Amino acid sequence: MSLIQVEHVDKSFAGRHGSISIMQDISFDVKDSDFLAIVGPSGCGKSTLMRLIQGLDRPSAGRILFRDAPVTSVCSKMAMVFQSFALFPWLTVAQNVGFGLEALGWAPDRIHNQVERYISVTGLDGFQEAYPRELSGGMRQRVGLARALAVEPAVLLMDEPFSALDPLTAEGLREEVLQLWRDPELPPEAVLLVSHNIEEAIQLADRILVLSRRPAHLLAQVPVDLPRPRDRKSSAFYELTDRVYSLITEGGAASPAASASQSDAAARQAL
Amino acid sequence: MPTTYPKCSPTEMQGLLVLLSGHKGSEDVALLADDLDLEIDEILPALDFASVLGLVRVKDGRATFTELGQRYLGDSIRERKSLLREQLKRTTLFRTLLRALESAPDHRLTDEQLTQLVSVTSATADEAVQNIVNWGRYTGLVRYDPEEHVLIAVRAPPSAPKPPAGSRPPPSAATPPPGGPAGGRKPPTRGPGQEPESPPLATVVA
Repeated sequence: MSLIQVEHVDKSFAGRHGSISIMQDISFDVKDSDFLAIVGPSGCGKSTLMRLIQGLDRPSAGRILFRDAPVTSVCSKMAMVFQSFALFPWLTVAQNVGFGLEALGWAPDRIHNQVERYISVTGLDGFQEAYPRELSGGMRQRVGLARALAVEPAVLLMDEPFSALDPLTAEGLREEVLQLWRDPELPPEAVLLVSHNIEEAIQLADRILVLSRRPAHLLAQVPVDLPRPRDRKSSAFYELTDRVYSLITEGGAASPAASASQSDAAARQAL
Repeated sequence: MPTTYPKCSPTEMQGLLVLLSGHKGSEDVALLADDLDLEIDEILPALDFASVLGLVRVKDGRATFTELGQRYLGDSIRERKSLLREQLKRTTLFRTLLRALESAPDHRLTDEQLTQLVSVTSATADEAVQNIVNWGRYTGLVRYDPEEHVLIAVRAPPSAPKPPAGSRPPPSAATPPPGGPAGGRKPPTRGPGQEPESPPLATVVA
């Protein structure tokens, strides 16, 4: 069943010399139990796409549906985890984790139990009263994760969640995210992961959406059928990596007309 | 014998175990490091920890899972914490620490007392203390008050009176291991015969 349907979405922003097209005609589905990765060159609009999906912003054209209903405002059934963790430094771990629930108007008792549950589930036991500054990067991201899971989202959106972590910590956390996603008794149903790390995308996802340079088009949806845990050194893994890189490097800009007007605009700005 | 405390978080060590499992449980350390583009300094602390905690065996530059290490990865996040807790309790460092917490008058140790106890070279003392506190909290072996910079035994009542600033516990309480802060000899350990199940856990300090 489709949790999310992205239909012919365009997005542009007003620039100094007219409108700048960020993405064009993006269409795809997210089914429950999907683990999707979105990859593409820096600045191609991956994070913007996540914001559109969550309802933080509206498409310029096209529409986005969640469980068949149009997303018109921030969807409470989705939660985001950020590259920079985005924790409130003046709140304890428990308060940070419970923050979304307060916003949803839950009663204090219910919040407390829910917070305890997700603190335990993400391995944060013992740190309830700690402040973010006392925590390692990995622990801070666990708080981000616990906070997102505590609202029991159907879809977990992750925007470069491991990019600010050292490689070993990232490796350790990736595996935990997979564990949590696979647990049928825990949220979420689906995960949408934005990453600039193509190997990470192949390691985690069932399907990879490859975006082109701006204005972003969906170049391909690449299925990843390898059993987990995936061996980065296997030839199958390498073939997938190669395929994604080829798509991105050959995908290029959209139409010659679009790229011409953009470079004109850039040239005028430079003068 | 390491002269600096290996600085590594539980998640980093877990990352190393995940990495090793991607290499079918046994691999040359050089190739492990190469896989994630790690420098030697980035992989060694995690390897040291994994080895001291009995999860990995390192021989001739090759790292291999022990049975416990294999089990760790098959466990849930919560079960892993339990496993780490049990292994950490058996290290000389944490045995000493927990014993000191027990005998401290209000089951509390300040950062300074902890530093003395741990006996690291002063250059790495702060980092080492923070790292030890982190492991202790993560596995639920201790609690920590960040405002007062005080380590607290788990079963100490939360409202126990704190010692006046600057006071020291009587000498019989938190006894630092022989050798003192200047480092040197290992604290006395029990003989091998008394702990048949214990993997060869070295002291994790100078």
